[in-house]
Amino acid sequence: MSRKRNYAMVIDTHVCVGCSACVYACKAENEVPEGFCRDWIEQKVEGHFPKLTMEIRSNRCQHCEEAPCVTYCPTGSSHYAGDGTVQIDRNWCTGCKACLAACPYDARYVHPEGFVDKCSFCQHRLKQGLQPACVTTCPTSALKLVDLNSNDGLYRQLIEGRTVTQDKVPAGTQPKLFWLH
Amino acid sequence: MTELVTNKINPNVIPHLHIWGWDVAIYLFLGGIAGGLLIISAAMILLQKGGIFSPEEQTAEYSRQIQVASLLAPVLLGVGMFFLFLDLEFKMHVWRFYTNFNLTSPMSWGSWALLIFFPFSVFQAIVVCQFSQIPRFLFLASWESTLKPYLNKIAAVNVHVGMGIGVYTGILLSTYYARPLWSNTVLGFVFLLSGLSSAAALLLLIAPSREKQLYSKIDMYIIAAEGFATTLFILGGITGTENMKNAMLYLIAGPYAPWFWILFVLAGLIIPLVLETLEAIGKIRFSPFVPLLVLIGSISLRFIIVYAGQEIPTFS
Repeated sequence: MSRKRNYAMVIDTHVCVGCSACVYACKAENEVPEGFCRDWIEQKVEGHFPKLTMEIRSNRCQHCEEAPCVTYCPTGSSHYAGDGTVQIDRNWCTGCKACLAACPYDARYVHPEGFVDKCSFCQHRLKQGLQPACVTTCPTSALKLVDLNSNDGLYRQLIEGRTVTQDKVPAGTQPKLFWLH
Repeated sequence: MTELVTNKINPNVIPHLHIWGWDVAIYLFLGGIAGGLLIISAAMILLQKGGIFSPEEQTAEYSRQIQVASLLAPVLLGVGMFFLFLDLEFKMHVWRFYTNFNLTSPMSWGSWALLIFFPFSVFQAIVVCQFSQIPRFLFLASWESTLKPYLNKIAAVNVHVGMGIGVYTGILLSTYYARPLWSNTVLGFVFLLSGLSSAAALLLLIAPSREKQLYSKIDMYIIAAEGFATTLFILGGITGTENMKNAMLYLIAGPYAPWFWILFVLAGLIIPLVLETLEAIGKIRFSPFVPLLVLIGSISLRFIIVYAGQEIPTFS
């Protein structure tokens, strides 16, 4: 009997240089149409000169535990895939855009072919035992895919001694992207 | 100082969400008015007020307004659903709404509720409109005679179905807690009352002069309630969390403020309420200007809420 996986992503903001390689790797891997993206870089500068802090982070679908897109999808197209990821079944999507309105992270877009699209953690690669394209490409190894149900200790090892934050926690979605500071 | 730079490029969500446009706003208006017409006509039937008030009009058992309302309810909702269909990105998959029922999805509830609306509102229209008297629709005579004994029961169902559709037009937006302006439970009641008042206004517009006072009074009561619901909607926003407060301030003091206050609050609520009150106490004569203002206010409300709600950032 295979163990149920629970994928999440740990992103080290100290290591990320904002090179956007993850964005282009994703575009190439998932044939993301021109003018759209499944992942993106956010660069946040805070404070007053000369006391400035800058945070760079790679962002994408949070694959929430309590995903509003799944809650509000009328047809069941957006669904929990059972491995900790949230996926879209294109054959069921009507393009009603309820999920776009529901997502606090604005992670989704309407594909020119009519269905809604977003980061899938490269599910097709996971099934082959590969890592997502962005993780494989990242030149500074800032991105790490972890399995929260695994005993390999990778998640604990990564967050050891670090401050871990999540995006928009008050939205109550239990996001599964963890940023290290 | 906080400066945020991103290379996110999805045009639906950057710089702000713009997923639903004029077609959804039109649907919300038509859905609201269809629900309102069904509630008023069914309530009139149940209250035995559906009959004509003066003996001069002996051609029909039900007054023209009840007939028009019963007929327009399914027609307007059908037109509204066409606008909803226009909004779908994958139109070939429209049938997917009916191969699934998602308990937690308001849109799923709504699409099934629409299926209940049609048979019952059409049954009411068949009986009330007496189509069988027109030679072309003679085939409806057997339907009419079968359904007629059940008219009160059909009307009793229709009051609730109409309420459901009216509230649903607001619920559709208010359940999206990622959009703080929409995420206000009172919105369902504001839209229900707005739909009801526009339905009453439409009936006021077409009613013969001796029946105008009835519909003017109905509209007056509903607009008064709508004013309170709108007040609660605003209060709920500005007394909410930072998120909701900023969203409400964007509506009532931001770029949409002139439209909101002048088109909806002043032209759609205050002026009609004052004029209808004066009409009710007999100080002024009925004017088609009043129901037109109500209808303009009602459609403006849908456009303002749909557009303003998308322009406010989500949780920060």
